[in-house]
Amino acid sequence: MTNYELVCGLETHIELSTNTKIFCSCTTEFGGDPNTHCCPVCIGLPGTLPKLNKRVVEYAIMAGLATNCEISRVSKMDRKNYVYPDLPKAYQISQYDMPLCKNGWVELSNGRKIRLTRIHIEEDAGKLVHQRGGTYVDYNRGGVPLIEIVSEPDIRSIDEAKEYLEKLQLIMRFIGISDCKMQEGSMRCDVNISMRPMGTEKFGTRTEIKNMNSFAHMAKAMDYEMNRQIDLLQSGEAVVQETRRYNEEDDCTESMRGKEDAHDYRYFREPDLVTIQVSDEIVNELKDKLPELPQKKAKRYMEDFGLPEADALLLTQYRKISEYFEAASKGVKNPKTVANCMIGQIFSRLEGDGAKENFAVKVTPENLNALVRLLDDGKIRMNLLKTTLEKMLDTGKAPSELISENDMGGVDPGALKAACEQAIAANPNAVSDYLGGKEKALKAILGAVMKATRGRADAMEVEKLLVQLIKK
Amino acid sequence: MVTHEEILNIANLAKLSVSPEELDELTKDMNEIIGFADTINAACPQASDFDNINGLSNAFREDIVVPSYDREEILKNAESRDDGYFLVKKRM
Ligand SMILES: [Zn+2]
Repeated sequence: MTNYELVCGLETHIELSTNTKIFCSCTTEFGGDPNTHCCPVCIGLPGTLPKLNKRVVEYAIMAGLATNCEISRVSKMDRKNYVYPDLPKAYQISQYDMPLCKNGWVELSNGRKIRLTRIHIEEDAGKLVHQRGGTYVDYNRGGVPLIEIVSEPDIRSIDEAKEYLEKLQLIMRFIGISDCKMQEGSMRCDVNISMRPMGTEKFGTRTEIKNMNSFAHMAKAMDYEMNRQIDLLQSGEAVVQETRRYNEEDDCTESMRGKEDAHDYRYFREPDLVTIQVSDEIVNELKDKLPELPQKKAKRYMEDFGLPEADALLLTQYRKISEYFEAASKGVKNPKTVANCMIGQIFSRLEGDGAKENFAVKVTPENLNALVRLLDDGKIRMNLLKTTLEKMLDTGKAPSELISENDMGGVDPGALKAACEQAIAANPNAVSDYLGGKEKALKAILGAVMKATRGRADAMEVEKLLVQLIKK
Repeated sequence: MVTHEEILNIANLAKLSVSPEELDELTKDMNEIIGFADTINAACPQASDFDNINGLSNAFREDIVVPSYDREEILKNAESRDDGYFLVKKRM
């Protein structure tokens, strides 16, 4: 039996988080009562003229720079003609043959580079609600700026497709041009899929699955479509080039017949908008504005701070997390401690991705910094640090309010030895268990000592001391 | 030469119905329009950028929100509406 290989490219639409729409000054705010974020321009009344939002061009260039694209010095807008009620003008203003950015790439964790053909700017369409009585049209989203990122057919597995999309999401969020929320539709993609016998070069006939709005759906739709095409090929039938949609209920893809003739978009230049010229100055200015990108940041955390890769990736998942980490580890001896505090204790207080993205925690980075510095200075031990951090997370108080001078400086060696001896005397069973080979029995005695010293003692030190005393 | 088939195709894409009587007329008109553009192109072949004859670039707008229109104004000319939405015939 022939093995087949996936050949896949993605077209990703991302809504830009500008204040206003691409061609008018209406708000881009999500939601709102239907048709309340509208004006004559964005409902396409005759005689109105579009005027391009400068920030849209800037954001698109930033997206291009962050994905290794060339920035076109001359660019223009075109009309893409199709008749559908979500487009009040019966054309979408987009870019055809002179996109703002081209020839970029995004690198995956396996080292493969997914090439980007282009990034262009365009306007979003309105929202349609199909009901029995007819189609209800809301143009609030109409005219919201989008970038469309088109990849080359370089993706070879569902996992690569997911990672590619995750990388795009991460990068665009980091540079602050979009929130990329798939569930709210600010990031969605079309997936082009074809299969070919493993080891061959020639592409097979492809189909396009439209409008994937979650990672899970994309994976399921791809899985279904890949198997469907393999079945066809194996039984000697041809794959028909067509547009398909994913049916969530039945977990399958189905043909969107009747849209075929709509592919003739008759693009021509948008005569109402002038040429876009991008100078070296603008490009350099935007380059300077670009923050350190997550992939580079993660690498730096690993190399400079000795963080494990998994931790470095967690800390660069969202911009606010990395900003917090960097502020909290300023000047501390070992940023790894800060990383552990965040990943081990702070993250467990945050539920869901949204909470992580906003990273609204009661402990300020300055207070975490102060806490870790107490450890650095030998004033507190790791266990006290941990319990104090829990209290800080509950109350938002500074470490100085929670740790008294008494608690600092650990435990006097004489007092510690006495506490250990006391605990040994009080737990004869545990001692004999331990001597009988049950290493775990030591934990009970250790616990008693920690309790007696109110968590101020260093657990490792106590353990060493206990073993010494028992074996004496 | 623009053919009847091309006219019918364009009409179909634009969701327009064209009667047989109109077809001849429309084809003739379209040929004249295209012919006019060809004449201009032939007259001045070196000035190729008719797309941008004014040579303007970078007319931008700052990203500052201006209050949108009252919904009543927006929906005023709608042939049909319901509950704040434009209401159109279903088509799939
Ligand atoms: Zn508007």
